[in-house]
Amino acid sequence: MTHDDPQVIDALAAEYVLGTLRGPARKRFEEWRDASPLIDRRVSAWEDRFVHLALALPPVMPSPRAWEGIERRISVQSPPAKKPIPWRALAAAIVLFAVIGGVFAVWQTGLFVAMDPLVTIAATDGSPLWRIDITDDHSRMRAVALNSAALHPGKSLELWALPDGKAPVSLGVLPDNGKLDRDLTVDQREALRLSAKVAVSLEPVGGSPTGAPTGPVLFVAEPVKA
Amino acid sequence: MELNATTATPNPGSSRARGPSDSDLERLLADCARRDARALRTLYDLTSSQLLACMIRILKRRALAEEALQDVFVSVWQRAAQYESRRGRPWTWLVSIARHRAIDVVRSERAELFREAVIEELPQLVSVEESAANGQSERTAAAVARCLGRLTLEQRRGIELAFIDGYSHAEISRVTGQPLGTIKSWIRRGLLSLRDCLQR
Repeated sequence: MTHDDPQVIDALAAEYVLGTLRGPARKRFEEWRDASPLIDRRVSAWEDRFVHLALALPPVMPSPRAWEGIERRISVQSPPAKKPIPWRALAAAIVLFAVIGGVFAVWQTGLFVAMDPLVTIAATDGSPLWRIDITDDHSRMRAVALNSAALHPGKSLELWALPDGKAPVSLGVLPDNGKLDRDLTVDQREALRLSAKVAVSLEPVGGSPTGAPTGPVLFVAEPVKA
Repeated sequence: MELNATTATPNPGSSRARGPSDSDLERLLADCARRDARALRTLYDLTSSQLLACMIRILKRRALAEEALQDVFVSVWQRAAQYESRRGRPWTWLVSIARHRAIDVVRSERAELFREAVIEELPQLVSVEESAANGQSERTAAAVARCLGRLTLEQRRGIELAFIDGYSHAEISRVTGQPLGTIKSWIRRGLLSLRDCLQR
């Protein structure tokens, strides 16, 4: 195949953007693209065209949970307030925080949601690192960091269900400290039900970018049977 | 729920709200690159529902798509500094991240099984002229709509199944019941006539 025929390049760029160029041919084309601004421009031109097909779908509003998940994962910090805070407002805020804090503390102790320990993930010397709790119906789990603060700075540790004979299913990134509650999807529940073991892998910050473990598996543990 | 591609038909009666302009989105991405979390929230409010629609079409399951949508915005937050307007419009960049993420999830095999049996109602294409594009892109949207309208029904269906549903040639062949060679030629010819029409 000639790589310098503009017709061929354009046809490949179109199939690449469309997604029908697959396998080794796709990989090869990506290498050419990286090396050639001309090919890159052809790809961008097709992307700018096809994007209008994607934008012609009627929007579907995500549930509030989706944003909560994002916020948790990027650990958003609001920029500091620029104006001095009036004392009266500050006093009101302190009271409000105390109330919220109290409610939060009660909630964290599990008064609102009953959880049972599912598995404890321990280091090779036996020292416990995280405890994973789960609700009766497996709809919600809680990861409690026991001794794992800054285990791997600049990386995330991700928990995986290892369902028998199937690909690992992510159960989310583990907290460095404190507790982290998350709702489990139907797939995660099902994967967990079929798993004799769970694993923790080392991933880039925020978790695996591919949906499958990309880094080394650091810990494996066996959940207690329900 | 049928798996067939639906053909986008012009729908002059609909009055979709215009989406954010390219320059709005570029400014928000620049703010995200400066670690302004409020900009990410605004970007999310403006684009998440459109991106979620794309991802549902590929993943066929809303719960899975919402989970993947989170990955998209975490990735946007991490990569905002890499966005360069000269390399494409912001919508193009965002849709490309969303499609790739959805397709990655499909390839990780866990989505493969239920892609075969769609049970949920999937968003269906409306008129391309009415796409959420705004500003400069409107002209391209109009041209794309006009040129898609000149394709044969089969060519158009092949292209939509590939781009909107993320299907491979083989999957399109299975979904449509047509031989693989026929599908490849639908798509090849469709792309050729799209290109010729758009160059005019």
